[in-house]
Amino acid sequence: MKISPSQSWRLKDTLYVLSLGKCKRCGNVFYPYQPLCSVCGSMDIEKIRSKGTGTLIEYTILYQNRDGFEKQVPITAGLIKLDEGIELVAPLTDVEITELKEGVRVEAVLRKVRSDSSNGIIQYGLKFRVINDAGNN
Amino acid sequence: MVSIVASGLIKIDRYYEFSEKDLVIEAYKDLMLKIKDVPSSVDAMIVSSTYSDILSKNLMLAFKLSNKLGVKSPISFRVENGDNGGASILTAYSLVKSGIANSVLLVGVDKFSDYPSKYINDVVSYNLDNEYQYQLGLTPHVYAALLMKRYMKKYKKEYDYFTNWPLKMHENAVENPYAYLKFKVDKKVITDSQLISEPLRLFDIAARADGASVVLITSDDMAKKFTDTPVKIESIFSSNLPIDIANANLNSIKDVSRKAINKISKEAIYEIHDSYSILASLEIESLGLAEEGKALDELENLKVNLGGGLKARGYPGSATAIYQLAELYLQLTGAHPKAMSGPEKGILLSCDDLGNSSYLISLSR
Ligand SMILES: [Zn+2]
Repeated sequence: MKISPSQSWRLKDTLYVLSLGKCKRCGNVFYPYQPLCSVCGSMDIEKIRSKGTGTLIEYTILYQNRDGFEKQVPITAGLIKLDEGIELVAPLTDVEITELKEGVRVEAVLRKVRSDSSNGIIQYGLKFRVINDAGNN
Repeated sequence: MVSIVASGLIKIDRYYEFSEKDLVIEAYKDLMLKIKDVPSSVDAMIVSSTYSDILSKNLMLAFKLSNKLGVKSPISFRVENGDNGGASILTAYSLVKSGIANSVLLVGVDKFSDYPSKYINDVVSYNLDNEYQYQLGLTPHVYAALLMKRYMKKYKKEYDYFTNWPLKMHENAVENPYAYLKFKVDKKVITDSQLISEPLRLFDIAARADGASVVLITSDDMAKKFTDTPVKIESIFSSNLPIDIANANLNSIKDVSRKAINKISKEAIYEIHDSYSILASLEIESLGLAEEGKALDELENLKVNLGGGLKARGYPGSATAIYQLAELYLQLTGAHPKAMSGPEKGILLSCDDLGNSSYLISLSR
């Protein structure tokens, strides 16, 4: 497993925060951020940060090994609709399977994703957990 | 007009002793045995291969192959389009249609068996968005599983519904000499098979293996030199639109089917990209061959993937589309070892594993 430090750093807007683009011309909101609207072609794009909250639409549990992710299997992943209206597929974390239902509220949290065995780089990324109404941490 | 005049293919399998080049030589030998006149040169060689650079450390593959096969060609390049080999068919077709080339040797080759599956799973995940989804450890199977669950909810289906696909594909593959998994399965084998990404099981997924297939495509003027039974490539339609997982819709396949509406008929024979059982169901429905939510209940009435599909004939990356093209050609000329009698039209639906990008190719004899 080789993680490139520059690639990892370059992904800071998608892996550490959910930076969205908001087109000032047509109102399109999209993820990941880029300085060009893929709907209307405008270059007038505001970078905004997603609140990181959304709703679970569907989930699955992945049992298959992928190089570099062996220790994380099984991986629970969900189709999430962010409150800003964007749908994305993302790993879930800290989950009780019984609480995973369509419509449940989720929030993004930073977690370790994988580490590079050759030069010690640890890559972090945003996963989603169910918002527990009883407490907040 | 553009015609297919010859094909050559090998059984899809795990070939530990063969490289990509060796596989292509075997497929080309098969073509040479069947063709009226072996070409000493072609105007172009197009290679459909997705993973040969990453898995075999092999760049300039088209140049290398064109020299090794002894088919001189001034134009040679590889087309990479994820697992969607349809793009290379469009390329070959366009070269002939435009008059740039009178003859194109279209080569499909990919090889999965050299590495353990966890490494292959990593590499096929390069097909995903690499700014987030790939980085977080997801695989395409996650998407297929989510799509499957949404479909089950939308149409109130149980897992049983999906078992119809591998049952039928394995049945179709039994007498196909090119098929990787030439055995029948029963329902229990499917429902008990390994869980990949719930509810997706092993038998819901295409069988990855090694394969090579070659197809010679020429202008009409030149076709008779090579065969008495050319098959015309009538038209190619294409579409790029992201899938809608939440609503279980393959927008690209629906779009390409709409564009090709006049070509689609129940009389034609079909090759579709059944990377997953759920994809097969959605593709058949998007083509309008069955009602939404019912495709896999109506397989007995459909002439789809007669050779066993990706599921049982096997799935060698983007060589798959060239297998599909070669098998349709053999079917339409009556030369397939398992030929049906009389089909005059063939439709090839090629897409990437999740159906974001698609090509629909219509053939007639
Ligand atoms: Zn815009």
